[in-house]
Amino acid sequence: MRRRKKRRSQGEVELNLAAMLDMAFQLLTFFILTFKPAPVEGQVLLRMPPPQPITNVNAGQKAGSDASNTNPVQGLNTLVITAIANPDGGLRQMAVGDATMGSVPALERKLSTVLGDPGSGFDQVIVQVDSRLRYDELMQIIDVCTRQKLPNGEVLSKLSFVELPAG
Amino acid sequence: MSASLSHSSSAEPNLTPILDMVFQLITFFMLVINFKAASMDLDLKLPVIGSARPVDTQGQEDLLILNINSQGQLRVYGQLIPDISTYIANEATASLMVARQTNPNLKAGDELPSTVVIRADKSTAFAMLNRVISKCQEHGYRKFALKAMNKTEET
Repeated sequence: MRRRKKRRSQGEVELNLAAMLDMAFQLLTFFILTFKPAPVEGQVLLRMPPPQPITNVNAGQKAGSDASNTNPVQGLNTLVITAIANPDGGLRQMAVGDATMGSVPALERKLSTVLGDPGSGFDQVIVQVDSRLRYDELMQIIDVCTRQKLPNGEVLSKLSFVELPAG
Repeated sequence: MSASLSHSSSAEPNLTPILDMVFQLITFFMLVINFKAASMDLDLKLPVIGSARPVDTQGQEDLLILNINSQGQLRVYGQLIPDISTYIANEATASLMVARQTNPNLKAGDELPSTVVIRADKSTAFAMLNRVISKCQEHGYRKFALKAMNKTEET
């Protein structure tokens, strides 16, 4: 005797999506409420070794060994910038070596002349900073320094800081 | 007498499209959520300079992110760090161990390949900043990234 195949029910199975939608809306609410876009920040990349002696540090060089050197600056590789602050932390005065600079643009012009000179040989800068100087004022100086190009075409990136006592 | 019977079957809206849309929105928010923001103290007011470039770590550098507020206090992941020296020493040890995986000859005190990211408030006095930088230099950090806002990004 042949058995008859049972027919499956043709009724549709309907999922209850309302519960899933509730959960999805809760997740969505959480993400919307906690969404806080981070500000786009920039950065200045520096290579900062500890401060080193600012006199000639070229290895193996002896005094008077180069008779053709008539430029006393040749052999020095560190440029010193000094930044003095007001009592409120603002920038009062700057100097490149002994030359006083009245403003940041003047400092930029001076650095461009000095660091871009192929005969100078400077490849790093030490910034002597008043301990009271505010960070934003210091960053103006760093900004100027990191925009300078050395005679070999590289951007100046070796900076060191020395803290000057207040006053 | 025959009364008209109201249709008893309830009207069920099709929820599938709205569910699709909600899941797409959730996916969007999950993708744009920024976990790095947890390491940044967003209350700090960074200085604004023109030469600040967007961050490009190329995905291979170990970063030490230090937030310094206007009082010179160090904050990392929202926690105030009372002993800066010990914290940086511990981080330097950890960085050294990571660096030794690629360069086993690296010794304590050698230059570390990690980058110190300094996020300092613009009104922080240099003395406070220099305290942190000097400690980092003592422990072998040489590469520093000073965070600032670009002028074009300022609103």
